[in-house]
Amino acid sequence: MTLLETRNLSKSFGGLQAIDKVSLKVEQNTIHGLIGPNGSGKSTFFNLLTGVYQPDDGSHINFDGVNITNSPAHAIAGLGLARTFQLLRLYGELSVLDNVMVGYHPHTKYGPLAPLFNGAAVRRQDKAVKEEMEELLEFIGLADHAEIPAAELSGGQRRLLALGRAIAMRPKMLLLDEPGAGLSPVNVDSLMSTIMTLKERYNLTIVVVEHILKVVMTTCDTISVLDHGQKISEGTPEFVKNDPAVVEAYLGREMADEDIRAAMDA
Amino acid sequence: MLFLSRIADLIEALAQRHRLLPWLLAYALLLTLPFILSTLFNDYLIDLANRACLFIMLAVGLNIVKGFCGQVTVGHIGLYAIGAVTSAVLSLEPGGFGGALGFGLSVWVSIPIAVIVTAFAGLIVGLPSVRLEGAYLALATLGLGESVRIFIAVTPALGSSTGLMMIPAPSIGSFVFDSFTSYYYLVMTAAVVGIYFSFAILRSATGRAFQAIREDTIAASVNGINVMKYKLLAFVLSAIYAGLAGALFAHMPPGYLHHNNFTVIEMVTLLLMVVLGGIGNVWGGVIGAIVVTIAYDQTKDLVVYFMDRPIVIQPLVFGLSMVLLVLFMPRGIGGWFEGVRRNRRFIQRSEEKLGDAARNS
Ligand SMILES: Nc1ncnc2c1ncn2[C@@H]1O[C@H](COP(=O)(O)OP(=O)(O)OP(=O)(O)O)[C@@H](O)[C@H]1O
Ligand SMILES: [Mg+2]
Repeated sequence: MTLLETRNLSKSFGGLQAIDKVSLKVEQNTIHGLIGPNGSGKSTFFNLLTGVYQPDDGSHINFDGVNITNSPAHAIAGLGLARTFQLLRLYGELSVLDNVMVGYHPHTKYGPLAPLFNGAAVRRQDKAVKEEMEELLEFIGLADHAEIPAAELSGGQRRLLALGRAIAMRPKMLLLDEPGAGLSPVNVDSLMSTIMTLKERYNLTIVVVEHILKVVMTTCDTISVLDHGQKISEGTPEFVKNDPAVVEAYLGREMADEDIRAAMDA
Repeated sequence: MLFLSRIADLIEALAQRHRLLPWLLAYALLLTLPFILSTLFNDYLIDLANRACLFIMLAVGLNIVKGFCGQVTVGHIGLYAIGAVTSAVLSLEPGGFGGALGFGLSVWVSIPIAVIVTAFAGLIVGLPSVRLEGAYLALATLGLGESVRIFIAVTPALGSSTGLMMIPAPSIGSFVFDSFTSYYYLVMTAAVVGIYFSFAILRSATGRAFQAIREDTIAASVNGINVMKYKLLAFVLSAIYAGLAGALFAHMPPGYLHHNNFTVIEMVTLLLMVVLGGIGNVWGGVIGAIVVTIAYDQTKDLVVYFMDRPIVIQPLVFGLSMVLLVLFMPRGIGGWFEGVRRNRRFIQRSEEKLGDAARNS
């Protein structure tokens, strides 16, 4: 079953066509990779899907059978589409526990004024949510830091928290924007295995943007390649790896860089 | 410092027994304050305590929109004015002094209506926050707040330059709340209940949504928070505090109000309370309100002579304190205290862990 589908998705910033008529399908329960050189529009694509940016006219986005093309971000989140940000965007002054509690927001069962009129119900539900979130923190290995402000975590812990906050939303689909950025290779591997476990545990469909090609090639079922806002290739890792268009646009450039470096070293 | 931390520990221990225990204890202690003040000092201090309670309500309310939700607003005193004037006018007898409007309603009716009217006004003050941020939002709210005061100042029906006089005091049966002490019980109760509710909000999904918006609006919306709705809610909630404080101010002895009670200086005073206490920190706001109310009282007649001309230096002192605070103590008293307590707890927990590890090995 197709969980997410875009048709002719476009976004321009002034004269710059950041996303150019991208049509793409993500099947349920798969891991879908999204790769492309810097500035090719990967983050913009996520921003369009999650309602952070409004797409240009003629675009169409469908998530889980609902047309979300012009829906506001909070409504899209409520449908079960969660994401992480390339720059994390944690709630720095809030505790680690509160960060994931905010993630749980779409499932809050009481109204915003309940604290004034029905304190007992609020306390009862918050206690249950807190226990659930502490379990989640335990699982991602941040339980010991539950009371610390997010800003005081280490880089790797911050990445884990960003992941935890998205998982707390109990989403159907999770968009990960460079989850491994800035981590050492060992840590990237352990992060990826955490992500795989979370996928099984919570029955997730994942779209992941990642620069470390080895990671993408080994974990993804399908890969789409963006270049200058256009989708230039799509298929299995094996297919994409050998697609001349990809080699030209992406791998080629990287190899050229390596050639230059090799030449300089010599 | 350690002493304060001990008290905080004690309060936590009490709360373990029953959630409301520290509140009831604090309330019981506060009930005795007028006797202590009038015995040790004089009745004037009870009046000061009453004004401190009003400012506590204002500061705690302002903290919801500014501290929790991160929306800059400097129009809060305008809301306070709306609450005061609305309740005054509704409760005054018709055909009163100097062409002042009057509807002759019971004070117990006029106060709730004033609160509702102020809540709506809060919604209007909050509307610019949907589009504006930071300094622009500050200017927009300042404009709204000042225009309320000016409107009162030029409208005879609302008191204009003479002010509204003989505003009735609330009464139950034949008991009239027209003395400092009796009125103290009203405003103190309102302040305590206000503080309690502010905590109830802070520690709920609503409070977390406010704080998420303060920390990162985009992340908040992606976490499913309807940012516009919650911003406006924060403005309305804080307006309810301001409206109630204003209405209680109107009926407080001597039952007189004037547009000079609602100037930019008042606004700066209020901001100073919140900043001194630590933006976003409820208890900090309360302490800030008490300290600044006393400081305000002590410095209001302070003049220096410059070229033989008397100059009231209070605005200068308050403005300067604000700048110094923002520069050197941006988290205020509350933020600093929180930090100390958090470190203490962290160390305690680490020690417990070490102990466990030692026992297990
Ligand atoms: N809000 C914006 N305003 C103007 N231009 C933007 C905006 N957001 C993105 N862009 C531009 O759109 C293009 C695509 O950017 P995007 O961040 O989506 O790339 P990316 O593929 O995520 O790159 P990276 O791998 O470096 O993260 C870039 O040229 C970028 O400068
Ligand atoms: Mg990016």
